[in-house]
Order: sequence, then structure tokens, then C-alpha cells
Amino acid sequence: MFFYYLDLAWRSIKKTPFLSLLMVLAISIGIGITITTLNIYKMASINPAGERSSTLFAVQLLSQDVDTWQRINEQITYQDATNLLKSEVPVRQTAMFRTGLAVQTEDENFSPILEGVRVVEGDFFSMFAVPFLHGGTWSKQVDQEGGYKVVISEELNNKALGGGNNIGKTLMLNRKPYQVVGITKTWQPSPKYYDVNNGAFNDSEQIFVPFSLAPIEEFESWGNNNSWRHEDIRNYNDRLNSEMHWLQYWAELSSPAMQQEYQEWLGRYIEQQKALGRFKRPDAKGEISDVATWLTTNNVVPEDNKVLVGLSVLFLIVCLVNMLGLLLAKFLKRAPEVGVRRAIGASRMQIFSQHLVEVGLIGFCGGVFGLLWAWGALSLLASKFDLTESLSQLDQSMWFIAPVIAVSAAIIAGIYPAWRICSTNPSVYLKSQ
Amino acid sequence: MLSMKNISKVFKTDLVETHALRDFNLEVQEGEFVAVTGPSGSGKTTFLNIAGLLEGFTHGDFFLDGVNISNLSDNKSAAIRNEKIGFIFQGFNLIADLNLAENVEVPLRYRGFNAKERKVRVERALEQVGLAARMKHLPTQLSGGQQQRVAIARALAGEPRFLLADEPTGNLDSLMARQVMELLEDINKAGTTIIMVTHDAELARRAQRNIQIVDGQVCDFTMYQGEHGSVAQAASAPGKTAEIISVASAVAS
Amino acid sequence: MFQIKPIVSMLLRNKSGPLLLLIQIILSVAIVANASFIISERIGLMSRDSGIAESEVFDFSIYNFDDSIDPVTQPLRDLDIIRQLEGVKAATLTSMTPLSGGGWSSNFSHGTSEEDRKDGPNAAIYYGDEQMIPTLGLNLIEGRNFYPDEVNAGGPELASLAIVSAQFAQDTFGDEPAIGKVMYRGNIGTQPMKIIGVVERLQGAWVDNDNLELSIILNVELASSFNRILVRADEADIVDLKESIPAALHKEHPNRVVRGFTTISEHRISVYRNHELMAAVLSMMVVLLLLITSLGLAGMVMFNIERRTKQIGTRRALGAKKRDIISFFLVENYLICLIGGVLGGLVAVQLGQQLMTLYSLPKLDLIYPLVTVAGLLVLTTVAVILPARKAANISPAIATRSV
Repeated sequence: MFFYYLDLAWRSIKKTPFLSLLMVLAISIGIGITITTLNIYKMASINPAGERSSTLFAVQLLSQDVDTWQRINEQITYQDATNLLKSEVPVRQTAMFRTGLAVQTEDENFSPILEGVRVVEGDFFSMFAVPFLHGGTWSKQVDQEGGYKVVISEELNNKALGGGNNIGKTLMLNRKPYQVVGITKTWQPSPKYYDVNNGAFNDSEQIFVPFSLAPIEEFESWGNNNSWRHEDIRNYNDRLNSEMHWLQYWAELSSPAMQQEYQEWLGRYIEQQKALGRFKRPDAKGEISDVATWLTTNNVVPEDNKVLVGLSVLFLIVCLVNMLGLLLAKFLKRAPEVGVRRAIGASRMQIFSQHLVEVGLIGFCGGVFGLLWAWGALSLLASKFDLTESLSQLDQSMWFIAPVIAVSAAIIAGIYPAWRICSTNPSVYLKSQ
Repeated sequence: MLSMKNISKVFKTDLVETHALRDFNLEVQEGEFVAVTGPSGSGKTTFLNIAGLLEGFTHGDFFLDGVNISNLSDNKSAAIRNEKIGFIFQGFNLIADLNLAENVEVPLRYRGFNAKERKVRVERALEQVGLAARMKHLPTQLSGGQQQRVAIARALAGEPRFLLADEPTGNLDSLMARQVMELLEDINKAGTTIIMVTHDAELARRAQRNIQIVDGQVCDFTMYQGEHGSVAQAASAPGKTAEIISVASAVAS
Repeated sequence: MFQIKPIVSMLLRNKSGPLLLLIQIILSVAIVANASFIISERIGLMSRDSGIAESEVFDFSIYNFDDSIDPVTQPLRDLDIIRQLEGVKAATLTSMTPLSGGGWSSNFSHGTSEEDRKDGPNAAIYYGDEQMIPTLGLNLIEGRNFYPDEVNAGGPELASLAIVSAQFAQDTFGDEPAIGKVMYRGNIGTQPMKIIGVVERLQGAWVDNDNLELSIILNVELASSFNRILVRADEADIVDLKESIPAALHKEHPNRVVRGFTTISEHRISVYRNHELMAAVLSMMVVLLLLITSLGLAGMVMFNIERRTKQIGTRRALGAKKRDIISFFLVENYLICLIGGVLGGLVAVQLGQQLMTLYSLPKLDLIYPLVTVAGLLVLTTVAVILPARKAANISPAIATRSV
């Protein structure tokens, strides 16, 4: 029967092309707008950590005094970072920050480029599941004592070293020779969840150097530096000893028990620091947040996106109400024909199904056109507003979501008209005209 | 075949109650050709709608082919309409978007026959009314008489036990009306029970039995001219019997 | 208007069609009012004057990664080289670029003693020299600029003189004159900085910050291995300067990275991109919504005309003029539209309230629902009159035909 209904639906659509077009237009525009905003929202709200989301924790410390900002900062101080690194609770952990270094090679003709660099512990790569093409991370000894080792991306490997397995080769960073120990495959988590404060949708760094080199090489901080009190910082050592918040800190805690244990460890750490005259607030505390929580508390999805999704859902409802009115008009006009079908032996259910199939077909067409609208709108927005690809490309799930929303929305709108037409008394329409 | 006992139908609006049928009694035997006449507003249409299971009734008992019709679910009554009843309307009521074959096919679709079975039955039904050659034509390309023959083919395609015809010749000129009437008589001879509502006394006379409905009540008598001669039955409303019989004899004489 | 009563009773009898139209209008008014309010709010944000000659100013950075380069003297030499180049009207070292989304901010204290110390508002801090004002093209309205010999090269702790934006002066000192006031870094007495000038306008880097208009210029040429420079030039010369500046700087010393070259206009575009995106998407929504609503309205009118053909014919036969038929449809739809408009306005205010509490959006201005309803009435007129003219042409003879 389904195909019979489909055939009837198609005839009906062809018979009233203008009205059908109006309905398809209405629903497709509604779907187009909804999918466009939903896509931007979805792409911004992806949790790129996947299954690691629940075992990776951002660590925050409420270390400032009372008479300054009140919220717990996203970043921590260098002294706290070096102390936290001594904890034996987490499976892995890393402090990190972003800097920039001038890249040169042994090739004299290669003109120096300034690249964003992430300063990390060796555990960073396995914590965040960075895929390696060649080699791997540096040794624990480098983390302890410092060492001129570097992990670079495939892209930089191609650009600076001509590609291939260049493990063991030398790369000059700020005129110092670093030995390449690992080359990563292209790795571009979006949002850049490990450092959301410096452009959550920016590109990942191409170069990774050991955190232990920071005091030796005095890497500048290319990120937010928040001081809650005035400190006279004249050199790098002052910075390291200051109360300035400028480092991100992540710990891998594989079980709830371990998370509990780490919380307690942090509590003891704060008590110990209080004894030393730091952490003066009565409510001084440490907090850990898994990736999902972290992305939410940092408002990685801009509010505007949420407003847009909300408004576009309302928009879709308007389109559906519109469609409902048109369907009602169209179906009721067909009452005599329905009367004949009922007399001939169609049950209410069969008439109802026939009309819902028609509505579903209109919805499906609307969904397909809606996808085209969304694709067009996204491309237009991407070209006009320079959106990053990660935000503007149509998510694959939309190919499924759009028709499903369209068909189900259309069917919801169609239930009332279909019910009206199947429940009218057929005998009224059978008398001769 | 069809048995109605004390059927009444009341339409209620906010202000008035209208009794469309009152204590309506009727028995129709298998194979009969019954013509129903009566002034407009008498309840003919209500009777036809109830007989065709298109409308419910307020009181009374109604058996069709042994099945109790009161409180039947929509699905069941639709199935009975589909299998046992064929409708023929004054306005033909062919579906304008469908060609002849597709129109005839509609009841078969709802019956759930497969494509092969449908094709065989559609062809047979259209042959029966002499329009097999025009299968692919649209209703608007046919004359009124041809359209009505298609409607009859549609009613016959499901091989119903009886046909309900509502002024089947009302929109036709006399030549076409005669053709359609002859077709109905042939169908009746083949064993299908027919109930036909009509204004036309001449047509009514060709049926074996005439029923007149007046003010929602029935007067039933038989014309002794068919070979299926049935026993005359007295009308239900005792007070009116004599009057109606006199009308009947006036017609007969 | 004598027709209103029969129209109302007809609307009431025939519920679903008008009800649907009503719901559609209510929602449309709510959405359109809020969306156009947000659009105009964003356009308002974007059209704020930065006080800067945006298209003539660009920034770039020099990164001296060679240890042999002196971090204090080299930037000053570089600045001299740049100022010599043809086309450069003015240039300064700077700590930040206006409207770039990144920079320095701080708050300073003022007062006579620790007891009556007041902390000023958080403001953007521009460290630069006497060419900062001509480079950015600022309008000095009070006091004076730095003299060249008052500018120090080195770290932020060398700042001693300040030029502030008028908004900063107003917010910090109220009606008292700002000139001559002294600000301190932290405790009163620590590193005094005297205000010597006020510029009419100077925006900071963060356009979404409430303190965008609060800025301070301090008399320090912030010199380190990483330097940012602002240059003013005629628009036509900027393309050439993007070539000649790196060439000259590399000639001076090859071991450095020179990059950037972005005009303030370009910074403006990218810093306001999200707002522009929001405004664009919402405008798209408003236009499409009005389109859909008017098509829906026209569709309903057409349907009603078809359904009431006989009725219209009868009215015509009874002497109704064409104008009466059109006004019949108009009055009917105006009624729905007005009721929908009033209810929609209430929903719009409610929606605005929700948006305000859930998100950092300002309170909906009542003029927006009002204008939306007015616009909708105009739209209704068009969407009704076009099909209703057809209805008016229905022949009175229809009435005499049987149904």
C-alpha cells in the first residue's frame, strides 16, 4: 500500500504544483535555516576528546587573594605547575603554554619563519592521543633535566625539512639546534580543547618543545597572562616566581577513585601552601573538570550560536504552521474524492496513512532542498566571513538529520489535516454536485 | 441479505432534533432488485448511507449478510463496504486524476489484491461494461453514460454481494439512462442484489419491488412482474398501511 | 467597519484556518521583533567610531631571535629606519593594536593617600612615543602630547606620563579636569604617572568589553625581542610599504622575522566578524520569515476566496461593490493581524526577557514589536489585496447556480 500512497501523493503534488511548491519552499527554508545554525552549533560543540573526555581533567587553583577577581581562573602559576608535576596520583600530566619561535634549518636559503610553539611535558602526546608518523615523544629524562628535543608536525616537516623520515635531523629554533625526535600526523582537534583561552578554533601548533626548557630558554608566553596583584616582573625568573596565572594544566585520571584521590591530594597541597603564606582565601580550592565540563564552563560554543539555534527552531515552527494551513486547505478541497474512496471501502486508517505519506513526501522534498539551502548558506557565510573550515563544512550527520527533521516535522504538521480529512463524514460529499 | 428493524436516525443540532428515519423496517432478499422512491427530504439518502455503512444510526438492529452492523469499528465497516457493497452515484464520482483502469482498481487496492489479480479483475470489469478498450482514458474524456458505466465497473470489480445505486441515471439523457438500466438488470440477473434510489417512476417500475419512503418511514410492496416473485410485505407503520397500499395499486393499475 | 461583527462571527465559526494564521503571526512578530532588535544592536556596536584613521594605519611585528641583537637599542634603530622610508607619515612602537582582540589592559589607582585610594576602571594600555597620536590620527582635545625627550625606552616600569581618552577621564574623575591628575600602579605612591593630555576618542582591543572606550597612552617605547609597530601612511602607499619595510629591516639584520601588515580596517573586519555573521544570519531569517508569512497569508486568502465563491457571488448579487468585497477580506485579515500583533508583541517581550536572562543580550526595546506589527499590516494589505482583487471579479451570476 505504501507505494500506492506514494504514487497518489506524487500525482497530488503534480496536480497542484504551486501549492506544493509553496509548501516545499516553506519547509525547506525552515529546515535550511535550522540546519545552518545547528551545523555551526554542532561543529562548535563537538567534544574532540572522544572517549578520553572522561579521563582527561583540566586542573584549576583558586590561588588569588580575596580583593581581586572572584572566579577560579582557567590557568595556574608556574610555581604551582612545577609543584603539581610532582604528584604521583595522575597516570600522566602536563603543564603547558603557547610560545612562538623562529624556525631555521641547516639550509642557508631557508628564510626564518615564526611559528606558534607548544611547550609541553613528554606525556602530552599520549594524553591527547596525538598520532605519530615517525618517532615519538622525548624521554622522561628530558622532562627532568631539560634537553633540546623537538616534535614537529608532518606539515612543518614537509615545509622546512622537505618531508620524509627526518628523525635525528636538526631544526634551529631561535638559533638553537633541536633534535627532531618525533613527527606527528596532521592533528587538528576542533575546538582546541587543551587551550580554549587562546582561540578555541585556531590551528594547532606545528612544534612541541619540552616544558623543562622554559626556565633555560625563557620562552615568552603567547597567551593570556593574568596577574591579580601588581608585581614588579623584570626578568623571566621574576615571572617564574610570580603569582601570575599563565599556564594550562591537565591530568589524566583513569578512575573515579583516582579522581577522588587527586582531589584530596590537591586539598593537602593547598593546606601546605597556606602554611607558606599563599592561597589566602578562606575558600581556596583546587578544581578538576573533565573535557565536556571544561568546554561548557569555558563557553566554547558562543552564546550567539545558541540564540540562533533557538530562533531558527521557532522559525521552523512558523514554517510548519504555515504548511499546516496550506495542507488543511488542500486536503479539505479533496474531500469529495476521499468520500468516494471511503465508500469504496477505504478505512479511516487507510485515508489517514495516504495523507500522511503525501505530507511525508513533501517533508522529504523539503528536507532535500533544505540541505541544499543549508549547504549554500554555509558556503556563502564561509566565504563572506572567513569561517574556519571546521565550522562551515556540513557535518555528515546532517545528511541524515535534515531529512529526518523535515519528514517528522512535516508529519507532525500533517497529523491534524490528515485527521480532519479522514474523519469527515464521506456521505456528505457523495451527493451529486 | 439486508435486514433493518426499528432503525431510527436523529440529527441533533443546538436547537432542533431532526428525525431522518423513524422505526424504519426493511428486509431485502438475496438477488432482489429493489427501487426506493420518495419525495426529497423523506430520508432516502439517510437510508442509503446507513445501508452502505457510511453513516451510523441511533437505534435499531441492522444485519447485512448475517453480520450485525451496530457498533462496528471503522476498519470492519470499511472492509464490509469494500468486499460486499458496490456504490453507484448520480454524479458518477470517478476520481478525476485517475484513468479508467486506475479508477476501477481503487477498491481492489484497498482489498489488498496483488498486481496480477488486480489487472485480471479490472479488465474483466471493464469488459463487462464494454469499455475495455479505453482503459487509459481519463474520466473527463468520456460521455456521462460511459462514465457511469466505468463507475459500475468499479462497483463490480470487487464482486460485491449487492449494489447501492443513488439516482444512477439522474444525470443522463434517456438513451444513456436506458443503457445503464439494462446493464444493472443484467448484473441483477447474474445474482447481485441491487438497491436503487430513484425519482424516476418509470425506472422504479422496472425493478421487482418498489419501496417508498415518506417522512422517514417505509412502505414496501412488490411488483408481481419479475420471475423472482417475492411475497409482498406489509409496511411497518400500521396507521399508514392502507394509504400506501392504495398508492401502490394505483401505480400497478 | 459596519462589517466587523459578521466577520468576527465568521472567524469564530470557522476556527482552524484563522487560528493557524494567528499562531503564525504571533510567532513571526516575536521572532522578527527580537531578531531585528539584535541586528540593530549589532549594527550599533559595529558603527562605533574608534577615533582612529583606520584605513591609513597598519601594524606589523618584528621578532629578533638572535641573541646578538640588543633588545633595547635595535627597536629604536628599526623605528628610525621605518620613519625614513618613503610614504611613512608617522610610526611608533606600541604594546598593542586597537581593535585587534589582543593587547594590554590594567587599572591604576589614584588619590592622595592609601586611605582615600580609588582604583580606576580597567583600561587599554598603549605604550608608545610622541608619534602615537599622529600615527593613529587621534584628536587631542586637552593638554599636550609627549615631547620626544620625555619618552623612555625599556619596560613598563618606566612610564611616568599619560594621555587618556575623554571617556576614561570622565569615568575616572567625573567633572574634575583630568589634566594634572596622577595615577599610580598599585599602592598610592608607587610609580606615579601624570596625565598631561586628553584625546577625544581612542578604543582598545576588545570590542565586546564594556570598557572599549577607556584607553591610556603611556610614554614608554616598549622594547624587547618581540616588537609591534604601528605605521601611518596614505592608503595608496601601504601596498609598497608591505614590501619595503621587511626589505629595509632585513638589510639592517637578517636574523629576524618581520610579519603581520594588517590595517586597522582589516582588524576591524575580523574583530567584528561574529557580530556581522550574527546580523547577516538574522537578517536572512527576517526576510525569509516575512516572505513565508506573506505567502501563507496570500495562500489562505486564495483558499478562502475559492471556498466562498458562491457567498461572494451572492453578496455581489445583493449589491455589494467590488470595493466592498476587497474590504471584507482586508478587514478580516487586519483583525487577525492586529490580534496576532498584540499577542505576538507580548510573546516578543517575553522572548526578549528570556534571551536577556539566559544570554548577555540587552533588554528588548518596545519600538521593535511595534514597528514589526506596523510592517506586518502593510504586508497584509499587499498579500490580501492581490488575491482579493480576483475575488471582487467573481460574477454575481455564480449565486444563481446550484451548488
